[in-house]
Amino acid sequence: MSSTEQGTSSAAPAEPTTAPESAAAPEVPESFYYVHGKDKVVHKVSAGALQHSALIHGMISNLGYTEEQAKANPFPFENIDGDILQMVVDWCNQHKGKPTPPEDTNLPKQKEKLFDLVLAVNYLEIKELLTYCCKQVAMMVKGKSPEEIREIWMIPTDAEDEAAEKEAKKRAGKEAAGETAAAAGDAK
Amino acid sequence: MPIALLKFPYDLLGEVLKLCDPFELYFLSKCSKRAQKTIKLGGKMNWKIRYWGREQIIICRDDVKYYIFDPTDKPEDYFKMGSAKGDKSMKIPKEEAVDMFFYLLDTFGICVVNSLEVQSGNLYNFLQITKVLAERNMEIEKFYIGETFDPKYVINFMPLIDQMNITKELHCRNSFPPNFDYQFDKYPNSIRISDSPWFGINQLLNCPCTRIELSKSELSNQELNLFFQEWKKAGTFPNLRYLQVSSKNIDNQSAIWDMVPPITRRENPRIRFSAWLGEDDYIFMRDAVKVYKDDGTEAWLDVDLGGVPSLEFLVWDPERDMFEGEDMDPSDDEEEFEDEEFEDEESDEEESDDEEPDEDN
Repeated sequence: MSSTEQGTSSAAPAEPTTAPESAAAPEVPESFYYVHGKDKVVHKVSAGALQHSALIHGMISNLGYTEEQAKANPFPFENIDGDILQMVVDWCNQHKGKPTPPEDTNLPKQKEKLFDLVLAVNYLEIKELLTYCCKQVAMMVKGKSPEEIREIWMIPTDAEDEAAEKEAKKRAGKEAAGETAAAAGDAK
Repeated sequence: MPIALLKFPYDLLGEVLKLCDPFELYFLSKCSKRAQKTIKLGGKMNWKIRYWGREQIIICRDDVKYYIFDPTDKPEDYFKMGSAKGDKSMKIPKEEAVDMFFYLLDTFGICVVNSLEVQSGNLYNFLQITKVLAERNMEIEKFYIGETFDPKYVINFMPLIDQMNITKELHCRNSFPPNFDYQFDKYPNSIRISDSPWFGINQLLNCPCTRIELSKSELSNQELNLFFQEWKKAGTFPNLRYLQVSSKNIDNQSAIWDMVPPITRRENPRIRFSAWLGEDDYIFMRDAVKVYKDDGTEAWLDVDLGGVPSLEFLVWDPERDMFEGEDMDPSDDEEEFEDEEFEDEESDEEESDDEEPDEDN
């Protein structure tokens, strides 16, 4: 498994510095977790950054992993492409501990990846990023004609839908017939 | 870069569609049958629709923006967009207005008609819409019949009103044929009838509305007195907030509520108050006389004989109504309002009769 470290701090918890006795209690060292996508590239992300994802936040709450345990058990997101997960991790790091401003200039701009990004963000339950992504998708058709909307949102025509439906039925019929034949063969 | 919207899961699709305006969704719906179905599946929009007598259809979004589907006879203008004062408009073929109304209703899953208004325009179209909405028992918040509506159609039209589910307001600004008679079976929250000789005392006594406005009425002092005798009884007319009657039969020949009109407060300080009747609907009354129901409920009555004699009656709601202290000098055209507490004024009225100026002298 290859590994990249995308976190902004070092992997191990920072050594507490000697503080004067009068100072407040020493800060709790930041903990880190590891995630990887379909490409198995591991990303190191702080718990603070991961708070944006309701899904991951729920997974790591009360987990109490040590640094070594976290490193040994990266969270696998096999349904998310590596470059998409990278975008999401970057965004979470950039917005660690702060809310997203209404006009966020640090948001992913790669429109060609928008579909996969929306699905990933929806899966990871990152509400603010999802709102932004949905806005981007909606903005794509502002002021467009029905024909342009059809192209931009890849809407099949009625004829294409009907053909696809027929094809799906045909395939389902064939599969069912194949299963029946196989079952009959097994019985013999 | 295209994106396959219909491959989104429905909840996500709903998030995207919520960010689109009615024109964009209308265009999307025209892309294919599946796209049209998807709009409703993507989630409820909570939009309302209006239909105006000249075939104008308006979608009211929850952000109070209006999207106007504006009919035109000019094919070269079809689906041209425009905007004014924050509202957006799009030209649509005039002959398709009725179909468009139902298409939008069904495509967007709209459950509430904000208002239906007929002025003149194509009455056949309007009747078609009205009948279908009545069959569907669709909620119609406000229903207006405009003043230019031809009285000869009224006889056929009024029975439809009882079949419709009008919830907030019925406003008939039209004239009715002579000897017209009609008895409502059910009422919305508020009725306003501009030509109301047919709305007699029996209808008034059975009317459960919050707001009743009857112009060109033929109600007399005796009939109005009878109404108030009923209102005074505890538990009667629990909804009534405001009644206004203008009638040539209101005169100074007999008493209403033991007072011979005009019924108005004559002593200083003059008083004025505003009453909130819902949404952006306020009424203002001045120099009314306080009256009470047997259960202690306060109300205000004002009967004016100048011009067209009229009566105003407001049931006081301390949470919604507000007094304005007014120091009015009859010689001064400008009104000056002070921030005096009404309670002080009221106690003045009740306790200091000797301070009342005698305006008759």
